[in-house]
Amino acid sequence: MSIKWVGKIVLFFFLILLQVWVFNRIHLFGMATPLVYLYFILCLPSSMNRNPVMFLSFVLGLFIDAFSYTLGMYAIAATIAGFSRIYSLNLFVPRDMPNEYIPSVKSLGFASYFKYAGSIVLLHHMVYFFVESLSLFDPVGLFLRIAGSFFLSMIVILAFESINSDIFKK
Amino acid sequence: MRNLINFIVKNIHWLFFLFLIFISTLLIVNNNEYQRSKYLSLENEIVGKIYAITNNISSYVGLRSTNEELMRYIATLESRVQFIESQLKEVELRNDSTLFLPDSVGLPYDFIPARIINKNITGVENFITLNKGSRHGVKADMGVLGTSSYGVVGIVLSANANFSTVIPVLNPKFKLSCKIKNSAYSGPLVWDHQDIRYAILEELPRHVEANPGDTVVTSGYSAIFPEGIAIGTVESSKKEKNDNFNSVKIKLFINLGDINHVLIVKNNYRDEQLNLEKRNGNVN
Repeated sequence: MSIKWVGKIVLFFFLILLQVWVFNRIHLFGMATPLVYLYFILCLPSSMNRNPVMFLSFVLGLFIDAFSYTLGMYAIAATIAGFSRIYSLNLFVPRDMPNEYIPSVKSLGFASYFKYAGSIVLLHHMVYFFVESLSLFDPVGLFLRIAGSFFLSMIVILAFESINSDIFKK
Repeated sequence: MRNLINFIVKNIHWLFFLFLIFISTLLIVNNNEYQRSKYLSLENEIVGKIYAITNNISSYVGLRSTNEELMRYIATLESRVQFIESQLKEVELRNDSTLFLPDSVGLPYDFIPARIINKNITGVENFITLNKGSRHGVKADMGVLGTSSYGVVGIVLSANANFSTVIPVLNPKFKLSCKIKNSAYSGPLVWDHQDIRYAILEELPRHVEANPGDTVVTSGYSAIFPEGIAIGTVESSKKEKNDNFNSVKIKLFINLGDINHVLIVKNNYRDEQLNLEKRNGNVN
C-alpha cells in the first residue's frame, strides 16, 4: 500500500516536471499543447473519496500554474476535472468491477478507458482554454485549440497508459 | 436542524468544490493581466450601471453646487477669451502679416466633457469612474483634466461602451512625464501613496534647479496631455546621496475630493505619432 503511494508521489512530481519542461513547450501549428499532467488524476484509485481527489487536482494544477505563470488557470480546470472524475467513472465503467481498482486500459478495457479519460480530458481542456481566452470572440480558434490539444493529450496519455501496463506486466 | 446538517454533510463535496473554484478564480483575477482586464471591464459595466442610477438621483441634490462650479468655470473661460481676444486685436492692429493660421489642419486636441460617477481616493490603488465611454470616443491612455480647479486628474485605464475608469494622480501606477516650467528636463511624476496633497517628481538631473514655489507642468512628451498644463508647485527638493538625480516634492493644484466634472483630452495625432515612433523602433 505504502509503496503504491510512493509511486503516486513520484508520478505526481514526474508529471509536473514533464508538463512544465517538455509539453508546455509544444505548440503544434501554434495551437495544440498536450496537457498530460491530468494522467495523475486519471490513475488515482477508484475508491478514493472525491474531496481528496479534488484537493489533489487543485494542488497539481497550482504546481503547473506556478511554473507556467498562469496562476489559477490550470488549478480551476484541474479542480473541475477532479470533481467530474467520479461521474465519468459511474457513467463509463462496466458495472461488474471490484470495489477498488485503478482505472487503466487493462482493468477497464480500451473502449471504457477511452471514454472515461476522454470525457475528463475534454472537460478540462474546454475549461482551461475558455478561461485562457475568456471570450467567444474567436470561436473557431477556440474550438481548434481545444480539439487539437485534446487529441494530442489523448495520444500522449494513451502512450503513458501502454508503458504503464507494460511495467505492471513484469 | 438535523436535516440541515445531514444535507450539508451529504453535499460537502459541492461546498468544497465551490470553495476551490472560488480560490482559483481569485488567483486568476489577481495574477493574470488579461483575465483581470476582462473581469474589470465586466465589473465596470455592471457597477457603472448601478452607479449611473444612483448618480442620476444624487445629481439632482447636488445641482446647486454643480451650477456654481460650472459658473466659476465659465468665468475663468470667459476671462481667458477676453485675454485672447485682446491679444488678437493687438495683432490685428499691428497688421502683422506673418501671423498665419492654417485652416486645413485640425486642432491637435479635442476635449470631451465627462462627469465623475464614482471615485475612490482614500486608499492606495485609487480609481475614478467616468460616465463617458468608447461610444463617446473615449479610449484607453487618454488624459483627464479637471475643470474648476485646473490640473491633471489622471489617465484613462480602460473604457467600455458607456463608462471608463481612470487611474488618478493618486495611484502608484500613475506615471506622467513632467518638467519644471521654463526648463526642458523632464522626469516622471509619481505618487508615494502617503499624502493626497503631494506627489513626487523623480529622476530630475542634479543640476536642474528646483526652488520652492516653482510651477511644474506637463512635458507633452507622452502624447497624452498637451504641453504646459500646470500640475502643482515645488514644495521641497531632496538630493539623493548616491544618485545623479533629484526627487522633488510637488504640491498638487488639483483636489480630487472636490471635483465632479472633468475634461477628457483626445489627442488627434497620437496614433500618427505612435505609429511613426513604432516604425522607427523608438517605442520600448
